[in-house]
Amino acid sequence: MAVTAFSDEWAKEFKDEVNKSPVYKTAAKGWKWTVGLVVEAEPDKHFPESKGIVMDLFDGEAREITVGTAADAQKCDFVLTAPYSRWKEVATKQLDATKGMLQGKLKLKGDLPTIVRYTKASQEMTECTTRVPVEWPDEK
Amino acid sequence: MARRKVRFDVESRGLVEYADDEPSAFASMLGGLIEANVRTHPEKERDFDSLVARVGIFVTDIDEGVTLDFKGGQLIVHNGLEPKRTLTIRTDADTVMSLSNLKIGLLGLPVYYDGVGRGVAAKLLRGKLKIDGLLPNVLTLNTVTRIFSIQ
Repeated sequence: MAVTAFSDEWAKEFKDEVNKSPVYKTAAKGWKWTVGLVVEAEPDKHFPESKGIVMDLFDGEAREITVGTAADAQKCDFVLTAPYSRWKEVATKQLDATKGMLQGKLKLKGDLPTIVRYTKASQEMTECTTRVPVEWPDEK
Repeated sequence: MARRKVRFDVESRGLVEYADDEPSAFASMLGGLIEANVRTHPEKERDFDSLVARVGIFVTDIDEGVTLDFKGGQLIVHNGLEPKRTLTIRTDADTVMSLSNLKIGLLGLPVYYDGVGRGVAAKLLRGKLKIDGLLPNVLTLNTVTRIFSIQ
């Protein structure tokens, strides 16, 4: 059943997908930092308030993924920021996350060599988001 | 009186500058990556201090490029491809990431026999990674690869 994008239910489904992925488990071995995704508000797309996804990722496992405020996500070791519609493009495979970062469509804060070292893990994490059936607020 | 050669501490000197008032995301990312590498790896600092070359990197699937102008201890990053380049690397975004994941092996040469290296070599053979100016500048390419590699 589809869950509302960036809701608590979505976070749970997303975490399950990450933990089911053998590719992620291998590619993220050694990862020990928190990652925050800031989803900026777009009121005209029925996404009125910014949200923050906080991901506690450790050594190939998603220990916890929660939805909170943008400020919560900004406290993480690595922070990716983009408007709601851009994240929707990523989750529906219209935008590749690596290209998005190189083009500045997804703004990244954090240690660059570490992000580059774990490119495959971040690509697989993006794949995991595409496997969660989602109901998009702007399509309701 | 004997002159002492003053060497700036890598922590305090400005290693990377941007030629444009608003560096592109790609320019900022490459500049940031190289700066972080040089600041944390003394062996990369030696390469960085000795390298004088103008290297273009063009990412074919986002249609964007940068020029890395290495000036022996300083790097100027330009948005887009500038003229008079020593080397120009043209490839897709994934391969750019793979290039920075190449391991450096014996004698400071990039390793092309592990998974990442084989992937890069295969793209070179298939023409999905093109390097203009490669033949006369193999040593320069190796130095750039060492500086660029996060391994």
